[in-house]
Amino acid sequence: MSLKKYRKKSPWILHYNCGSCNGCDIEILAALAPKYDLERFGILNNGNPKQSDIFLVTGPLTYRSRERLVELYTQMPEPKVVVAVGSCTCTGGVFNDMYNVENGIDKYIPVDVYIPGCAASPELIIDGVVKGLEILEQKTKEIEKPKKLLGELDESKASIDRTKFAGNIDDRKN
Amino acid sequence: MNTITFFLILFAPVYAAFFEGAQRVLKAKMQRRIGPPLMQPIFDMYKLMDKRALIVNKTHTLLGLFYFVTLWCVVGLIYMGFNLLYIIFLHLLSSIILILAGFSVKSIFSHLGSNRKLLSIVAYEPVLLLVCIAIYLVYGSFEISEILNSPSHFLSLLFVYFALLLIIPSITKLSPFDAPKAHQEIVGGIEIEFGSIFYEFLYAAKFLEMIFAYSFVYILAGSNHLLGTILVLFTFLFVNLVDNSTARIKINHMVKIVLGLGVILVSINILGSVL
Ligand code: SF4
Repeated sequence: MSLKKYRKKSPWILHYNCGSCNGCDIEILAALAPKYDLERFGILNNGNPKQSDIFLVTGPLTYRSRERLVELYTQMPEPKVVVAVGSCTCTGGVFNDMYNVENGIDKYIPVDVYIPGCAASPELIIDGVVKGLEILEQKTKEIEKPKKLLGELDESKASIDRTKFAGNIDDRKN
Repeated sequence: MNTITFFLILFAPVYAAFFEGAQRVLKAKMQRRIGPPLMQPIFDMYKLMDKRALIVNKTHTLLGLFYFVTLWCVVGLIYMGFNLLYIIFLHLLSSIILILAGFSVKSIFSHLGSNRKLLSIVAYEPVLLLVCIAIYLVYGSFEISEILNSPSHFLSLLFVYFALLLIIPSITKLSPFDAPKAHQEIVGGIEIEFGSIFYEFLYAAKFLEMIFAYSFVYILAGSNHLLGTILVLFTFLFVNLVDNSTARIKINHMVKIVLGLGVILVSINILGSVL
């Protein structure tokens, strides 16, 4: 019996705010609230990385939140999907090139769905999550790694190959 | 034990999932939403099976599994009409196992959840014990099979029923007494470190807790099974209505309200049946 088709019937969400203005967070909560009712797709806002399938990230990724973003991403068991909600999460948006932000989360973790808009409307968020469900169904249980790791995680124990990273970890702005 | 009882016990976690599904649909309807399908908890369980397994440590995972098995035994004993006292103490044992599981990892949120669960046991367990004594005084037996065969004395257990209405939300983790779970504030409390297929046991255990809690309401009606069913349905509606219309209260208030009011209500009932 293939269990794959049940993935999209009960996706649980982990929502993380890495320095957003809270505009998109309010829209996400609006999508979960009675009017838009994301729960009718079986979606639960779980708040726990170990039990979640969809990682909804908002915000331009400030320096302070990078470690936590990577940590949360590595704690989610596969199959998992990352959805970047809002312009600033995709490219930096209004915060582009500020001294304290990284211009989007895709420098650190692989993103599956980008949702534009400042703020992204609940309809777009629902569309994005439903698009994410299609991707979730095709994924395998192979381990997915973040592109960069930061100091807090123990790299030697996780047997991570530093040479495969997209950027050099020592280049980062401090 | 006849065949029907055997199958009722064997498939308890499966059909109990529909109670949870019904609860979610009912809540959605009360909030004028469409809500998830009735089968949603079953879908959730299939999905959890499909995820990559993550273990924090072996003790933690094993204790989580034991918690589920012990709770399944509790439900089995209820269907076989066993002694109420045994059932309560076995249920207490299962909760203690869960608390040990919470303390066996380093996560502070898990410890926090365990502490809160301990406090909620302090709140509802004495009331549950007094409920058993009150039932004994009225029906003259602790055996469920004998209680279900004696004529109904529901009216002389009215206050016990009110006390049960008070503690059922804290057993089945519904607000206002869901402080041990306190969803987003302490990210799931005791369940936080369980992931993928190992979380499934805890998820199914939640349904078994519902059977445990509502069976106490059912046996209050004695041999009047129609009244028992109506009581269970009414309690289900009432508890969910309260869950939808109230916010969570603080854990120290929960202990005060549940323990204080619960003990007083049952004591009045016990005094009434003794005098
Ligand atoms: S996209 Fe706009 S509204 Fe959304 S978090 Fe970024 S700045 Fe705020």
